[in-house]
Amino acid sequence: MFISGFFYIIGETFKGLYRNRWMCFTSTGVVVVTLFMLGIFMLVNLNLGHITDTVKEQVEIVVYIDENADQETLDELGQKLSSHSDIESVNYVSSEEHMARLHRQLGGMLEGYDAEMDNPLLASYEIRTIVPESVIDLAEEFETYPGVSTVFYGQGYVESLFTVTGVIQMVGLALMAGLSITAVFLISHTIKLTVMMREREISIMKYVGATNWFIRWPFILEGLIMGFTGAVLPLIGLYYLYQYSVEWVVANNLAFLTLLPVQIVLIELATYLVPLGTGLGILGSTFSMGRFLRV
Amino acid sequence: MVEAKYLSMKYEKGGHYALENISFHIDRGEFVFIVGSSGAGKSTILKLIIREVKPTDGVLKIFGRDVARLPRHRLPYLRRNIGMVFQDFRLMEERTAYDNVAFAMVVTGSSRREIRKRVPHVLGLVGLHDKAKTRVRDLSGGELQRVGLARAIVNRPAMIIADEPTGNLDPGTTLDIMNLLRSINLRGTTVLVATHNREIVDRFKKRVLYLENGKLIGDEQKGIYAHVH
Repeated sequence: MFISGFFYIIGETFKGLYRNRWMCFTSTGVVVVTLFMLGIFMLVNLNLGHITDTVKEQVEIVVYIDENADQETLDELGQKLSSHSDIESVNYVSSEEHMARLHRQLGGMLEGYDAEMDNPLLASYEIRTIVPESVIDLAEEFETYPGVSTVFYGQGYVESLFTVTGVIQMVGLALMAGLSITAVFLISHTIKLTVMMREREISIMKYVGATNWFIRWPFILEGLIMGFTGAVLPLIGLYYLYQYSVEWVVANNLAFLTLLPVQIVLIELATYLVPLGTGLGILGSTFSMGRFLRV
Repeated sequence: MVEAKYLSMKYEKGGHYALENISFHIDRGEFVFIVGSSGAGKSTILKLIIREVKPTDGVLKIFGRDVARLPRHRLPYLRRNIGMVFQDFRLMEERTAYDNVAFAMVVTGSSRREIRKRVPHVLGLVGLHDKAKTRVRDLSGGELQRVGLARAIVNRPAMIIADEPTGNLDPGTTLDIMNLLRSINLRGTTVLVATHNREIVDRFKKRVLYLENGKLIGDEQKGIYAHVH
């Protein structure tokens, strides 16, 4: 029973796909188009996220040291900052280093100025936080530390940056959720239609004494094949489309557009689209058969 | 083999009875016509036998088991023991006559060898040996019902139930199909035929259960259709 049943199910799966090839072709087409649209949106969303992350990573806190603080206070401050759990890196910049940087930035404009004798620049700690959004709260905290003169993190500018990136991410997530729901709805209904077209076939199977699983398996496998194919085809299309986009960005010297590498994006898309397509194919088939099997 | 006691059936709560308080007993090897006009309850009896529906009241025992109490996962095994023949044939039109008959064997777990041996034999019994590879949609009405009959008997069921098996056939083909059912019955299979075809009931003179408005109004050995009225 097992062997003949197994071969029957495999055979029926491919026969079913062939016999209903136009319906299966349409269903797979719907899956391809829907997942391709979702994939394009994911590409845009992933890269927008990457660009905003890159911008946010530039944000840092500069803690200027009080020039009147004694050595013990300064040592304690350094210790406190470098052991802080929310801080990724701390870089000490002496007043001399600040002056040297200024020289480099302004070039010849500071010529004749005796930096050794009269340096008004304060030494500082340049701090990168683990979570960029925490700079505002941390800056407030650092201001209370002994030995700190002032704290700077790009007040005003940083808040706007976070608001804008936050909105971009929220809109991106909402649109992706919306598109995913549309994909689920469209794909499961198309698969359901494929099964409904074969209601008669299912009822005949019931009358001759086929068990529900015996009837279900070929449909589930058909759903799996349609869903999987419907996910892999857009992936191939998206791969070439994205590769072309990356090459175009490089060729046009658009350095501000820091796009994610092709392989990373493809893995990200595959881990989302393949299970989505395959899962919907299987679930769409299984659930839409339910009411026919109750006979 | 079939035992109905005070059997009643309503399709909807508060609706009228499709069957009302009927009792009868059918023994192994019998040939029984169930007759009555449309809506009399003939098809309901057949649906109850294969547990497509459950009775509202009363008990229906098939092969000694109360079908209403049969768990859902046991239904396929009940149906494998009952060959069904329908007025609209219910065949898979895109497949060949051979495939339609073989399908009933595949679901019961028969081996490929058994199927290859048995299906041509059964198709020969119903006179379709040369049509095995023909797609069902290319067959005539009489041939379609022969395929239906072949499918019904291929697993050697204890009982055949036929719902208006000749409803879509011309008189000549009707007689052929009925003769086939009689020969199946002569080999020991119980046959139940729901029909309102007066000629065949009168011609075959078998046991007749008369139904009217869901009630059993007569049960006669060698009955004739005229007794309905």
